[in-house]
Amino acid sequence: MSKANRKIAILFILPVIIFYLIMAIYPFASMIYESFTNLNLTIANSGQFIGLSNYFEIFQDPLALSSIDFSAMVIYIGVPIEILLGLVFAYLIRGLKGEKVFRTLFLIPMMIPGIVFGIAAQMIFNYLFGAANYFLSFFGVQPVAWLGQASTAQFVIIFLDVLQWTPFVFLIIYAGLLSVPQDLTDAAKVDGANGWQTFLHVEFPTLRPLLYVALIIRVIDALKIFGKIYMTTWGGPGTATSSWSFYIYKVGVSYGWDIGYASALAVILLIVSTILVNILIRFLNLGEQLGISKES
Amino acid sequence: MRPRTKRRVVNSVRYFFTILTLVVFLFPAYWITITAFKPASEWNEWPPHFWPYHPTLSNFFGGTSVSSIEGILPFLRNSLVIATIVSVVTAVIALLAAYSIARFKTGGMGLAGWIISMRMLPPVTIVIPLYVIYAKVNLLNTWTGLILIYLVPAIALGVWILITFINQIPKELDEAAKIDGASNLQIFTRVILPLSLSGVAAVMVLTFIQTWSEFLLATILTSNSASQTLPVYLGRFITGYNIAWGALSAAGLITMLPVIVFGIIFQRYLISGLTFGAVKY
Repeated sequence: MSKANRKIAILFILPVIIFYLIMAIYPFASMIYESFTNLNLTIANSGQFIGLSNYFEIFQDPLALSSIDFSAMVIYIGVPIEILLGLVFAYLIRGLKGEKVFRTLFLIPMMIPGIVFGIAAQMIFNYLFGAANYFLSFFGVQPVAWLGQASTAQFVIIFLDVLQWTPFVFLIIYAGLLSVPQDLTDAAKVDGANGWQTFLHVEFPTLRPLLYVALIIRVIDALKIFGKIYMTTWGGPGTATSSWSFYIYKVGVSYGWDIGYASALAVILLIVSTILVNILIRFLNLGEQLGISKES
Repeated sequence: MRPRTKRRVVNSVRYFFTILTLVVFLFPAYWITITAFKPASEWNEWPPHFWPYHPTLSNFFGGTSVSSIEGILPFLRNSLVIATIVSVVTAVIALLAAYSIARFKTGGMGLAGWIISMRMLPPVTIVIPLYVIYAKVNLLNTWTGLILIYLVPAIALGVWILITFINQIPKELDEAAKIDGASNLQIFTRVILPLSLSGVAAVMVLTFIQTWSEFLLATILTSNSASQTLPVYLGRFITGYNIAWGALSAAGLITMLPVIVFGIIFQRYLISGLTFGAVKY
C-alpha cells in the first residue's frame, strides 16, 4: 500500500476504533473487573476484590438458574415454531395473486417496538376484558388469568416472541425460495417429482444455509428479550417469566444495584453471545460477502 | 374433480389461511390503533368492542396528564433529537470507516468482524458497567449519554451496509480520478461520497427507527422528562390500578407509527440490514 493510501486508510478508520475503545472495550473491561468485586451502588465503600465468588454464587442461586431456564425455553420452544410457521407462510403465499401486499403486511409485526407489543398483550390477555378470553368463550372455555399463572404467562411471552419474529424468519426463507433456480424445479417436475419430493430434494438443500442463519440470529436475539417482559409480566408471576437479560436488570438495577453479581451474570451472557456471533459471521461468509478475505 | 376446479379450491384455501394468519399477526397493532380512539367507557368493556363505537380524540388531547397524552411533547422532542443526532453521526463515522475497509482492507476480516459483532451483543451486558461509568462522569439522564450508547450498534450496522454500497462503486472510477491528479481525499469527496448517498440515506433511516424503538438502555440511563424517550414514557404510563388504556394506546400508536411507515418504505434496506445480507430483495 502506498504511503498516501495508508495515511487515509488509517485516518478514516480511527474515529470508529477510538469510539469503540471508549464505548465498548472500556465498559466491557470494567465489567469483567467488577464481576470479581462486591461492588454495590447502595453500599458505601463496596467494590472489594472477592475473586470468583460471584461466579460460584450463580450456580447456587435458584433465581439465576430459573432465568437461564426460561431464556432457554423461549429458544427451544419459540424459535422452532417461528421457523416452522415462517416456512409454512412462505409456501402459503408463494405465487398467490397479491403476494407482495401480503409480504409487506406480514413485515409489520417485526417493526413494532417490543414495548408497544407488551401494551397490546396487556389488553388482549387481560382477565376481565381481554379479547383472548372473549374468543375462547365461544368454545366454552372459562376465562383464563393469563398473566397470573406461571405456565400461561410463559405461554404469553413466547407467543409474543413468535408473533413478532416469525415474519423475520419468513422473510429469510421467502427470499431463499426466490433464489431457487426455476429450471431445477422444472427438471424435478419433468422427472415426475411431486411437491413434497421437490421440496425435500431441490428446495430444502438451497434453503438449509439460510435456515441456519435464521436460527442463529434468532437465538442471539432471543437472549435479549426484555421489553415485552417488562411491559407484561415484569418477570412474574414469581420468577416464571424472568429471562436471563431481565434477571440481570433486576439484580443490577431495579432490586439492589448489586453491580458485582450482575456483572458476573452479564459476563457469562456476553461470552455465550460472542460465541454465537462468531459462528454467525462464519456462516454468513462475511469475509467474501464484503470482499475483504480475497487479496487484491 | 377437474384440475381447474381443484386449483380454484386449493387457492381459496390458501387465501383463507393467508388472511387468517395476517389477522392473528396484525391483531396487536390493530388493537393498539382502535383503543387509541376509544372513549374511557369502552376500554374495559365486556364483550370487548372490536372497533370504537364512539370514536374520540380525547386520548390525545385534553384531560389530565394521566388520562391523555398531553404531556408527551418533551418525550417526543427527546426521541426526535436523539434519533436524529445518532443517525447523522452514524452516517459520518460509518462512511469514513467503510471507505477505509472497502478500498484499503484496513484491519482485514478481524477488524470488520469485530465492528459488526458490536451490533449483535446483548444491550443489558453493556448497560451495567456503563451505568457506573456514567454516574462518575455525569452522563446519566442526558441526551449525550443516550446518544453515545446508541451509536455503538448503529455504527456497526452502518459500516456493514456502507461497505456493501462502496463495493458496488467500480474501482475504475477511483483510478480515473487518480490519473486526473485527484488526491485520496478528493476521490472520497468527489467520487465515493456522491455515489454512496443512497446508502447513507438507508443507514440514517435504519438507525433512526432502531434508536426510536429502543427501551432497555433508555429506561436505565434516564430518569425524567429532560431526556426520557417515548418508549420510556410508555413504560412509566402503566402505573397505578386504573390504567388509562386509551391514552397508553395513543402513546403506543405515536411510538409505532413512524417506525412502521419508514419500515415499509425502506423495507429493502431494513431486511438486508437485519439479516446481514443473508437476504437481498
